[in-house]
Amino acid sequence: MAFNLTRRKFLQTASLAAAAVPLSKVVSASTGVTKAPLDAKGTNGDKTVVGGICEMCFWRCQLVGKVRDGRLMKLEGNPKSIDNGTAICARGNAGVKLLYDVDRLKYPMKNVGKRGEPKWKRISWKEALDECGSKLKSTVDKYGAQGICVFPHGSSAKYPMHYFERAVGTHNVSEASFFQCRGIRDTAYVATIGKAPGEKIDMPNTKVLFFIGDHLGENVHVSHIKAYIQGLQNGAKLIVADPRFSASAAKADIWVQIKPGTDTAYILAIMNYLVKNNKYDKKFVEEHTDGFEEFSAAISEWSLEKAAKECDIPAEQIKEVAEMLAANAPNVAIHPGRHVSWYGNDFQRQRALACLTGILGAYYVKGGWVPSKGPKVGGVSWAKEDHGHKYNLNFDHHEDEKVHPFNPPGTPTELIRDCAISGKPYPIKSCVVWGQNPMQTIPGQEKMKDLFRAMDFVMCVDVMPTDVTMWADILLPEASYLERYDYIKKGTQWDLSKEHQQYISARIPFIPAMFERKDQIYITNEIAKRMGHEAKIPVKTIEEMVDKSLATANLSIEKLKAEDGIHIQPGKDPYGIPEDFEVLLYNEDIEDAGHPGAPTYKPVEQPPKGFARLLYGRAPVHTFNRSQNNVWLKNAMPDNPVWLNDQVAANLGLIDGDVVGFVNSEGVESRTTTTVKVTPGIRKDCVYMYHGYGSANPLLTIGVGAGVDDQSLITKLAVDPETGCNGMRNNFVKLIKDGKVLDIPA
Amino acid sequence: MQYGMIIDLERCVGCHACTIACRAEWEVPVPYQRNWVKRLGPTMTDDGMASTYYPGLCNHCDKPPCVDECPADTVEMTFTDYKSGKTKTMEVAATWKDPFDGSVQVDKERCLGCGACADACPYGARYVNPDLADDDSEGKVDKCTYCKPRVEAGLIPACVQTCITDARIFGDLSDPNSEVSKYVKKGAKGLEVKGGHLGPNSRYFGNKKDMGLLFADYTPEMADMGSVKRRAMMASMVKPAMKKAKDIGLLGLAGAMLVKGLSDNEDSK
Amino acid sequence: MPSPDTSQDIATLYRFLAQCMHYPDSDWMNEDFLNVFYNLLGTLGGIEEGVEIRKSINNAEDYLEDLQVEYTRLFINGVPHVVAPPYGSVYMDKSLQGTFAGNTLAFYREKGFAMDQNADLPDHLIHELEFLSLLAEENDSAGEKEFLKKLFRPWYTQFHARVTKEAHHPYFRVVVMLIDFFTKEEDEDGFQPNEA
Ligand code: SF4
Ligand code: SF4
Ligand code: SF4
Repeated sequence: MAFNLTRRKFLQTASLAAAAVPLSKVVSASTGVTKAPLDAKGTNGDKTVVGGICEMCFWRCQLVGKVRDGRLMKLEGNPKSIDNGTAICARGNAGVKLLYDVDRLKYPMKNVGKRGEPKWKRISWKEALDECGSKLKSTVDKYGAQGICVFPHGSSAKYPMHYFERAVGTHNVSEASFFQCRGIRDTAYVATIGKAPGEKIDMPNTKVLFFIGDHLGENVHVSHIKAYIQGLQNGAKLIVADPRFSASAAKADIWVQIKPGTDTAYILAIMNYLVKNNKYDKKFVEEHTDGFEEFSAAISEWSLEKAAKECDIPAEQIKEVAEMLAANAPNVAIHPGRHVSWYGNDFQRQRALACLTGILGAYYVKGGWVPSKGPKVGGVSWAKEDHGHKYNLNFDHHEDEKVHPFNPPGTPTELIRDCAISGKPYPIKSCVVWGQNPMQTIPGQEKMKDLFRAMDFVMCVDVMPTDVTMWADILLPEASYLERYDYIKKGTQWDLSKEHQQYISARIPFIPAMFERKDQIYITNEIAKRMGHEAKIPVKTIEEMVDKSLATANLSIEKLKAEDGIHIQPGKDPYGIPEDFEVLLYNEDIEDAGHPGAPTYKPVEQPPKGFARLLYGRAPVHTFNRSQNNVWLKNAMPDNPVWLNDQVAANLGLIDGDVVGFVNSEGVESRTTTTVKVTPGIRKDCVYMYHGYGSANPLLTIGVGAGVDDQSLITKLAVDPETGCNGMRNNFVKLIKDGKVLDIPA
Repeated sequence: MQYGMIIDLERCVGCHACTIACRAEWEVPVPYQRNWVKRLGPTMTDDGMASTYYPGLCNHCDKPPCVDECPADTVEMTFTDYKSGKTKTMEVAATWKDPFDGSVQVDKERCLGCGACADACPYGARYVNPDLADDDSEGKVDKCTYCKPRVEAGLIPACVQTCITDARIFGDLSDPNSEVSKYVKKGAKGLEVKGGHLGPNSRYFGNKKDMGLLFADYTPEMADMGSVKRRAMMASMVKPAMKKAKDIGLLGLAGAMLVKGLSDNEDSK
Repeated sequence: MPSPDTSQDIATLYRFLAQCMHYPDSDWMNEDFLNVFYNLLGTLGGIEEGVEIRKSINNAEDYLEDLQVEYTRLFINGVPHVVAPPYGSVYMDKSLQGTFAGNTLAFYREKGFAMDQNADLPDHLIHELEFLSLLAEENDSAGEKEFLKKLFRPWYTQFHARVTKEAHHPYFRVVVMLIDFFTKEEDEDGFQPNEA
């Protein structure tokens, strides 16, 4: 015992009385606990609060919250929803634990130590905003607006992103979801059918579902899964091409155990077979496509045999699939995929999928690709301004055209990084990261660190500490999706064969923002004021933004609340092809830009001897960093066992549950280990693990080190030539067991 | 009436929504669980490559071996059918099978936390929550209640409500027209123990290869009732001693010693 | 039952301990406060502790910033992780606002108290100490005892251990020791039967 008095002694003697007088002088007058009124509030049963919109993933199901004594007890699907209904997925349910995650950012913090090795100190909002404002302003004053780069992600990052792009005027904005995920898909479809495809296939009413690499079930979005299962229940056939016996393959009629990277060859062979055997939709091709000649000529080399060899699958099976598609066309659903940045030859594969849908006539017909007709709601944001192309890194000034002509909006990450690190063609000196974790979502972690090292100022806004927030000078805590207004969610009923309905819903907080967390409008506006853009501020508060948007549909927050959080109105029949709809089977513009105008297969790098290709995918309970530290989700799937072919395992003497690490072909070792899952359900030339595990950030008390971080092994980036997006599946690994590196047998 | 639940494996995608919703609804602390989802395979079966899920929960068995093992003193309890208002009085220990809805329930107030029932359950459907330990117990047993309080308030069980594919269906198995009975007619089956007749009322429906895989991997064996009984007996013997310890205010120390003695005893057998 | 005067003094003591756990800020963390703090330590015979704190404060370039960085790391967000968040639920439920926080709030209610508008979560160490001081003011020593046993000590012991192990600055180590000292149950001889 440190003190030589006992407590009792102290309390009994005069010491207490003597001490108490001075003690009372230095304590503040008020407490946080006050006398309650005699009448208890009388909350009998939990209060149901409406209007929440999930953000554990981008699908954004509509929620209600159960609140007891100011505590959010549970989230449920909004019974009024015609989208997810009362259902929400595991992540949606576990949103409660994100809200109450003790590791979440609570107050503005300043790094008083070195960048990347932070010593955090809580500061006031005023100090934090003054610092952000003055640092960013001095970057603009010294280097111009292009001296700021921005990495935004999520619905709350839209408003600040528009601020930096439009009012400040930098092109150097890179959205992870575009460049590392669906950007390729969207631009490939735009280059084929003139629009992004979404996931708009009419699965409940289709006869055949065709998935390339889509693993629905492991990849979970509620109404999407509902539509998928409804399709199967209604008798649709399911074809799944995947090197692995995925969750979807397990429900499939045909599992195509394709060799990784060869998908385009596979699709070309199917199309070639359809064309050669006159099994395509001639009427549709005539009326709604362009470039059939060039297209069919370009793919004519792809015989079943040639593809069979390339893809390492039986020719008979390719034929079986082609026949099944032809027999059921046009009521076939070719899934456009979502995360499609795989091998650096992805734009062409996505084009091929769009063309396959075309020659089967499967656009705007029952069971095909059908965009539902949703309600119109206007948005409110910073006014657009033209800032020219002078500082656009994605613009080749000699040729007067874009470097990556089919790149999505913003600037490819690679270009920003190269410029920031080299200082050429101009300096980039401040970095704003908003809700994105580029350390995990963008390959090449070391390069990202180099970018941060080259900065004068780095600020991060997030709900959670992630790998990237360690690099911030100022770290700002954002209100989570359960504590703020913002997103407007709209859509239609998911089964297009049901009564046509539209819905509009807006995010309404379930509980007030805890600690000193703030929303994106407040933070952006305060920075804008300090950077001299006060006059351009479009809305003063987040409620104002939501109300102004809703007003365009004759709604308001109040009206929505009165309608239990969701407004429902009659919808429209989505079937029927628009007059001007056209599928560019051959696209001249792509050819002019120096790339193949008809879908073309480009072989990808093969694993060197002794290595296996590293494949990754989604776990149903995780989406990126927002779910890594969630105690409920973590408990549901604590790590990411690596799938290893049973014969390979036998060869290596590995059994189920063995603990292994990894080394990739560039010599990079995994920081952590995981267990082996031995299964016949994966090819011999690859291994597979769930993405999003093994975060390096020790701040995440739950997430740290659990499983292996696939991203840390993805050190080689294939760049998709048409889009500039990163391909991440050309990395090869060996396993390490007890310090010994094991060669994967060929 | 006999409540039952069907899990349709043709629909289930193994998403874990059901397990997390249950956790939120009943404040089930990590790492314990009232229900679970296990992934099976991919594995080669006689019917081809297969992979499916085992979403498990209490089976509210027709003949629940867990109930028989409870060593707590019995009391007279009057049960009321919340639908008809009929009542029935029975002698029950701290866990019982409800005479009206067939669900298996626990009275946490009287539970000794000995875990005998949990040991007796071949499905691992019960756990002892040590956080709920009080002066009379080492914790309290908790398990799936088929969401009795929700159901009696006119709601459906939390896991059923959140299931994203409508793979979980809840209802009355004794009503031949209920959705669940229709599934039974179509071939839904419970995971009956090897060589036993417990009559599990949470049942599975699926295609041949998935059902084959599930039953091959997760058909349980009866627990070794000998050791379960010993443990229950010991718990009931210790109980008066614990009371005494409490009365003379020695609980902190005495409790720890008694627990220790108990496990030593068990090891030596 | 303690006399009303003693109760009042005990209340003051709890309030002072609560004050010690606020974010260090020049408003209150000043010479006056520190003198009172050293004085209390002296009365208890904790001279050495007082000297250690005084040393690290006097030797610091900016002692307030040191304390702020340390407070942030220990109790808000830190590297390698937030060491010891001062909320009971974190230890009992592994998250904020778990069942334990609900039970704590229910206890406040039962005693006729509610959370103030600007308060932190109910199971924050500061509020629990404030609540104890309010109970002492009302001379409700049975309530005090029950609260300490059921809702305070179960998590505080874990919190205390973490801070003691991880704190770099002596100030926080001594503060948690003081709180421990004044909330621990003991019998006539200072023997604590419930200590493991
Ligand atoms: S699918 Fe799940 S995580 Fe995504 S929005 Fe819906 S409930 Fe949320
Ligand atoms: S499943 Fe287990 S706990 Fe449930 S009734 Fe049967 S034996 Fe008892
Ligand atoms: S919620 Fe439904 S689909 Fe998801 S794992 Fe549970 S039973 Fe299966």
